[in-house]
Amino acid sequence: MTDKKDAAVLERTLSGIEGFDDITCGGLPLGATTLLMGGPGSGKTVLALQILVGGSVRGGTPGIFVSFEESARRVSANGDAFGWDMCALEKKQIHFIDACVRSDVVRSGSFDLTGLLAALEVKTVEMDAKLIVFDAIDVLLSLLDDPAAEYRELYRLHEWLIVRKLTGILTMKIDEGEGAVAPRYGFMPFMADCTVLLTQRVSDRVGARAIRVLKYRGSPHVLNEVPFAIGPTGVEVGSSNGVHPEPQPFEEKVSTGIERLDEMLCGGIYRGTNALITGSSGGGKSSLAGAFIKAACDRNERALFISFDENSRDIVRDLATMSINIAPHLESGLLRMEAMRTEAASSEEHFMHIKRMITEQDPRCVAIDPLSALARVGGGLAARAVAERLIYLCRNKGITVLFTSLLEGSDPHLETTTLHVSTISDSWIQISYALQDGERNRALSIIKSRGSEHSNQLRELIFSDSGITLADPYTAGGEVLMGTLRMEKEHAAQKRNGQ
Amino acid sequence: MSDSVHTEDRLKGAYVFRLYLAGGAPNSVRAFANLYAICQKHFPGSHRIDVIDVLKEPLRALAEAILVTPTVVKISPLPEQQIIGDLSEEEEVLRALGLPQKEK
Repeated sequence: MTDKKDAAVLERTLSGIEGFDDITCGGLPLGATTLLMGGPGSGKTVLALQILVGGSVRGGTPGIFVSFEESARRVSANGDAFGWDMCALEKKQIHFIDACVRSDVVRSGSFDLTGLLAALEVKTVEMDAKLIVFDAIDVLLSLLDDPAAEYRELYRLHEWLIVRKLTGILTMKIDEGEGAVAPRYGFMPFMADCTVLLTQRVSDRVGARAIRVLKYRGSPHVLNEVPFAIGPTGVEVGSSNGVHPEPQPFEEKVSTGIERLDEMLCGGIYRGTNALITGSSGGGKSSLAGAFIKAACDRNERALFISFDENSRDIVRDLATMSINIAPHLESGLLRMEAMRTEAASSEEHFMHIKRMITEQDPRCVAIDPLSALARVGGGLAARAVAERLIYLCRNKGITVLFTSLLEGSDPHLETTTLHVSTISDSWIQISYALQDGERNRALSIIKSRGSEHSNQLRELIFSDSGITLADPYTAGGEVLMGTLRMEKEHAAQKRNGQ
Repeated sequence: MSDSVHTEDRLKGAYVFRLYLAGGAPNSVRAFANLYAICQKHFPGSHRIDVIDVLKEPLRALAEAILVTPTVVKISPLPEQQIIGDLSEEEEVLRALGLPQKEK
């Protein structure tokens, strides 16, 4: 830190967790104190450890982890479980200090942290540590059992960090639900330079985590609460600031797998864009998704088919009845299918899972059937954000996505999607039912197709054992004829032509 | 290495304490005075106090899991007992050491 710089503006150090760096506008305050608050199991320890590990792995910044509650071995084992090589890190970069207070300890009179700080001082110099985590500082405070002493010792710790220009992370338990610190620790967020609140909520019986920056001294930060999840590789924070690199648009068009639909779309959909297929239950959305995926694989492109609440084998079988045979592609590994259970996780966790699969499979085409499943659990707002991020993720990677969405609500003409994704979709294809002369026929129309001309016709969608196609439009009295009426008209036309 | 302050420790069943201090900090000084007074009163001639200055031997305190100062550990007789604080609350100390408490 240069002295000439405005001292009020804190320098930052990247945490290495993308979304976290987004909401803090650049990471933790350097040489200052960050307080992570949250209820039990809210992810404080994991987040603190991940920042420490990230710092030492990327930047070669050694750090110390002082654990007041869990034994250092358990915290370290925790890191191993996330695939961080704690053993190698502990050799040089990270030092764990077991500061668990023995349960049989007796307290008599006043004491302070001088001993711990003296030891930390030596370790810090020895390792050239830059970051120190004090995990579960509340345990230490409860030992002091005196508000004045608690304040004094925290202040001592805070000062100690500042004087040595160390970046500190303190984690502290708070009562879940109250959303605030216990009154006696009310000064904590004021003392810290950056305060972050981690929460865990249950909505529709699905637990979801959220993170929010309560304060960041003298600096801008994102005020919103942002979802985060703890996955197999650690914490992931759903960023919200909407800053995304603009990918180069493709001129090439990608087939939907249905020749006549491609014709309606003037050649298909642009590569790297997305298409939304909406329709009510049984409309054939999944079959369209299957056709799209098969076409991709037939072009020898890697593909990923994500379905919610339906077995992959069932999908393969059902598609095969329409001559859409994806089994060979599945066997060759060109196609990966993943059946997900909607209620198994929060939308944020689903997102992490999908993101991981995209990284592993590296597909050029992805189908998600249906995207609206995300909204079924854990709150529509979170699900909508996830859907948007999913779309942005694919766009940035140049992946062409086809996703389906169930239309809900009593009025099918309102044409709104559960997640309101229709507004960010590039192409929107609608499948509806047309009731005509005692028949229920499937009708397809294109509502929008960005940057491209498209047909405005309503066409009959025909599923048969030879595939999916669209019938030629026949109109009579201003209405598109479908089903038997269309066939009669077709026959009549054929007869005329034959004569 | 610790500074041996008192050497009347060869008697059988002697009370041995290890006192971790932070230099001449007021609570450290009080802790020593209080511990010494308790020893003189309850175990005259059969106690030893080893004093460890964490400012001089910080890594030792760490290795022995001493976080706060002052801390006193009763090494002998077993079981080990850790007491933190300046020992100003004598009753707590006596209870922790399993001694009859002061009459009121």
